[in-house]
Amino acid sequence: MRANVWSGRNTVQVENVPDPKILNDRDAIVRITSTAICGSDLHLYDGYVPTMKKGDILGHEFMGEVVETGRGVTNLAVGDRVVVPFPIACGGCWSCRHELYSLCENSNPNAGIAEKMFGHPTAGIFGYSHITGGYAGGQAEYARVPFADVGPFKIEDDLTDEQVLFLSDIFPTGYMGAEFCEISGGEVIAVFGAGPVGQFAIASAVLLGAERVIAIDRYDYRLAMARNKAGATDTINFADDPDVVEQLKALTGGRGPDAVIDAVGMEASHGHGALHAVERVKQATRSESDRGHALRDAILACRPGGIVSVIGVYGGLLDKFPSGAFMNKGLTLKSGQCHAHRYLRPLYEHIRNGAIDPSFVVTHRLELGLAPDGYETFKHKEDECVKVVLKP
Amino acid sequence: MSGHAAITVHRSREEVERLWRSSDHRPSYIDGADAAVRFADAPGDRGTEIHVDLERDLPGGRLGEIVAKLAGGPPLAKVKDDLRRFKAHVETGEIPRSDATPEGELAERKLKQRPAQPLGDAEREKAGVR
Repeated sequence: MRANVWSGRNTVQVENVPDPKILNDRDAIVRITSTAICGSDLHLYDGYVPTMKKGDILGHEFMGEVVETGRGVTNLAVGDRVVVPFPIACGGCWSCRHELYSLCENSNPNAGIAEKMFGHPTAGIFGYSHITGGYAGGQAEYARVPFADVGPFKIEDDLTDEQVLFLSDIFPTGYMGAEFCEISGGEVIAVFGAGPVGQFAIASAVLLGAERVIAIDRYDYRLAMARNKAGATDTINFADDPDVVEQLKALTGGRGPDAVIDAVGMEASHGHGALHAVERVKQATRSESDRGHALRDAILACRPGGIVSVIGVYGGLLDKFPSGAFMNKGLTLKSGQCHAHRYLRPLYEHIRNGAIDPSFVVTHRLELGLAPDGYETFKHKEDECVKVVLKP
Repeated sequence: MSGHAAITVHRSREEVERLWRSSDHRPSYIDGADAAVRFADAPGDRGTEIHVDLERDLPGGRLGEIVAKLAGGPPLAKVKDDLRRFKAHVETGEIPRSDATPEGELAERKLKQRPAQPLGDAEREKAGVR
């Protein structure tokens, strides 16, 4: 089959590789009909995530048709149309039983590697480096899906791929980020990053009843999408004025937002001045793996007693964590890779009843063979790119 | 060479102890090593803790230790492999396999990962997959 593989820093290529086979009884094979490039794929592309190997098939947002099932999979049949959530979860460990699917204790066969880096292993993830298991990803014609009796979600309505594809990751991820904010009505929520995850965090905060949602980014076209499609009430472009903290206070009568969502992660670009220059050098020389402007500003801007929700991906270590502000302001920090399985059914219902149409983020549609162009366009934010969907 | 490794399995102590001794779950490395194994109830609904202590020096002293490492990784890493595989087998009914680590959790694979792409037929056979 054809698959998009990582072949070194800033390089991906579409190659012929063996077709996946059933390796365990609870596996299924899915013929992929739509797959997407995620912002977190750019962290791999840019070489900021360790434990990548040449030849790794990328991609963790995909859907398709079941073409084969192992003996242990009785809930799926050949021909079923499914969306596959990005974390691989066994369903039987303590974490899975408590709906902490991205913390599955069994799905990562590189637990020993993960434990060295994070203290504990976390769940396997499709196409997402070897620290999350070394599973082939979904930017391919076919994928092997382990624990297929737990993850894949059947789509039985007449919805298009683009309407349901993002149940695989970015819609649930944005939703979980908003849910962390404990919205009960009347809140002001600020969202750093108006990329695809940020758009869904904004839309979810609106769905959950936030009174105002402030989108923060450096691209006007993304802020326009946040306002016109996702439902943001205010926007801040930090390319015009880099002092995001002061602008957030100005928009909130000096209080600061009740909760702040970091939908940026380790490659934050809104830093400025000397600290940003230092961090670029440290990251380039691998003495610090994560750039942290978004997280720092989130902590500094959040109102005392508020919540900082981190759904942007971090991979290693971060310098200059504002521990004084964090502690003295009595903030709560919540984070995690999304427990996507939890949200499939409720968010599917939101799509079915018309409360949201997630396809609004799609700006580029490419044939799988053009994946390398898709990565470049997305990385450099060319052609007003927000989300690239690939068709195998 | 001594060390301690532990894991918690989300099952009752009675079931864990029974499976630990059963022929299809028995952890092969720990079984053959000079190790003390202890089971304890974990708090609340957390299941059963398995504690393994590697107690005695390996035969051959320091040299024996080096030989053991060359033969298949440090003993404690092998003990951890066994514990993780046992836990997964009990909790999921199978040994989770990825493309990079098709044998399932394996100390020797840590530095010799396959790329994350499907195995060819010969490789699959070599990894012990049907």
